[in-house]
Amino acid sequence: MLSGRLFGIGLRQPHYRDVFERRPALGFVEVHSENFFQEGGASLRALERARAAYPVSLHGVGLSLGATDEMSARHLGKLQRLAERIEPALVSEHLSWGRFGGEHFNDLLPMPCTEEALAWMVDRVDLVQSALRRPILVENLSAYVQFADDAMSDTAFLAALARRTGCQVLLDINNLYVNSINFGFDPARRLDDLEAELIGEIHLAGHEASDGLLIDTHGARTCPDVWTLYALACRRYGPKPTLIEWDTALPALDVLLDEVAIAQATSAAASTSSVCEAHHA
Amino acid sequence: MPSLFESQRAMARSIANPRASGGASPVFAGAAPRIERGLAVYRANVNAAAAKALAAAYPVILQVVGPEFFDALAREHRRAFPSTSGDLDEYGATFAAFLADFPHVSHLAYLPDLARLEWRVHEARAAADGRAWDATTIGEVASQRQDAIRITWAPGTAIVESQFPIARLWTLHQDDHEGEFTIDWSVAERALVARDGFAVTVQFLDEGEAAFLGAALDGGTLGHAATVALSRSPAFDLGRLLARAIAMNFLCGFTLEGTST
Repeated sequence: MLSGRLFGIGLRQPHYRDVFERRPALGFVEVHSENFFQEGGASLRALERARAAYPVSLHGVGLSLGATDEMSARHLGKLQRLAERIEPALVSEHLSWGRFGGEHFNDLLPMPCTEEALAWMVDRVDLVQSALRRPILVENLSAYVQFADDAMSDTAFLAALARRTGCQVLLDINNLYVNSINFGFDPARRLDDLEAELIGEIHLAGHEASDGLLIDTHGARTCPDVWTLYALACRRYGPKPTLIEWDTALPALDVLLDEVAIAQATSAAASTSSVCEAHHA
Repeated sequence: MPSLFESQRAMARSIANPRASGGASPVFAGAAPRIERGLAVYRANVNAAAAKALAAAYPVILQVVGPEFFDALAREHRRAFPSTSGDLDEYGATFAAFLADFPHVSHLAYLPDLARLEWRVHEARAAADGRAWDATTIGEVASQRQDAIRITWAPGTAIVESQFPIARLWTLHQDDHEGEFTIDWSVAERALVARDGFAVTVQFLDEGEAAFLGAALDGGTLGHAATVALSRSPAFDLGRLLARAIAMNFLCGFTLEGTST
């Protein structure tokens, strides 16, 4: 668990040196778990250095949590070993699948939001949580197709999953926004699906438009609409640990730190205005 | 209502096969062109992830063939050998076999061996860190017992043999290479891949050294490996090789019957 007043960045290799030398004031850093599944070597050493300076959040992209394929004991074992080594503050994965019939697509593929899929995800999250002996967080995706038999929103799905497994929700505000544009819904209303106590972390990132779709590239600044939605989420849920994610076309570290500063200011302003609203109520 | 299994099967097929016409599949919602557009994003992501992982494991081949051709190779490789792991570090062990059979690179006959070398380097980079040990202890073994020494090699240590100068090729493509860029294509090379701290080194081995290390890496005793080496190369110098192995940290201990360091 992390305090809601903590802000972090996705720590990527080109920023290692800058981060280790400058030690910017960050509440935590987040890395992709699979990038540190080695038995030894320079990458793992760098992560241990980061861990000595900051709380670390392990964010998985390859467990294929929602797949109907059997879960890879090998993958889960490597995650377990890494978690024992790093003692992370948070461990998260996605509401997604990536492997079918033995083939791994190494991408975050969307789940149909049905009662059947929910029951399946409950079992899979239980499996991971008992292996790791800790609750995990599960994140909503950016999706580019929808399923005909979707019976609920992904946010309502995640809320039910969290209530039934004790996992927490990693709410990616940019993903929520990208989907709202691609599929045409009001993202603000989706915030109603989730109660504050279910949310363990918030992600912010940039996206790009391509051929009629918004694509979640993690390669740009957070857009104004997403900041607005974030402010709304802060007012609704109170402060939550918030992470700036940037994976492609990585800019200088200062750009990420500037995004962190905006997130801090947005969150602080939201709590002030919530307090005022409470006074006037 | 399709089951979760059927939904995932339909989507997996639509991604793996662009001609599967996912837009017509009843599992997806929306208009067919819009569904196809969404599936195209996933197909691109899948190919990009595989190409990026392959490029990380095979940086020299990437330089040799150029990024555009490498991307095409990566696409064809994925079609022939799809990923099976959520850990992309494990993806690409099949690249050498793929290159050996791929007709469009048959003029680059050294490419499969270069791929084998790069894969060993990739593995060594991720291998467990070697432990510190007292190298003087190996010199203290009584001479009549030295043949029974079984060396502990640093994790990741490996030999790749080729009829091509692959170690030279690899060296020339390293960022920190200084000196000549000439290459003698007639030279067959045996390359040793070893971790020295966090760095991975590729070293040339002569015939005797390669024979010794091959036997010793297979678990043979010092006596056995030295006999194999001397039968191949009467000039084989065991002391010199051991000194180099200790200095470069790929020899990281030994065992003797009944004892260990």
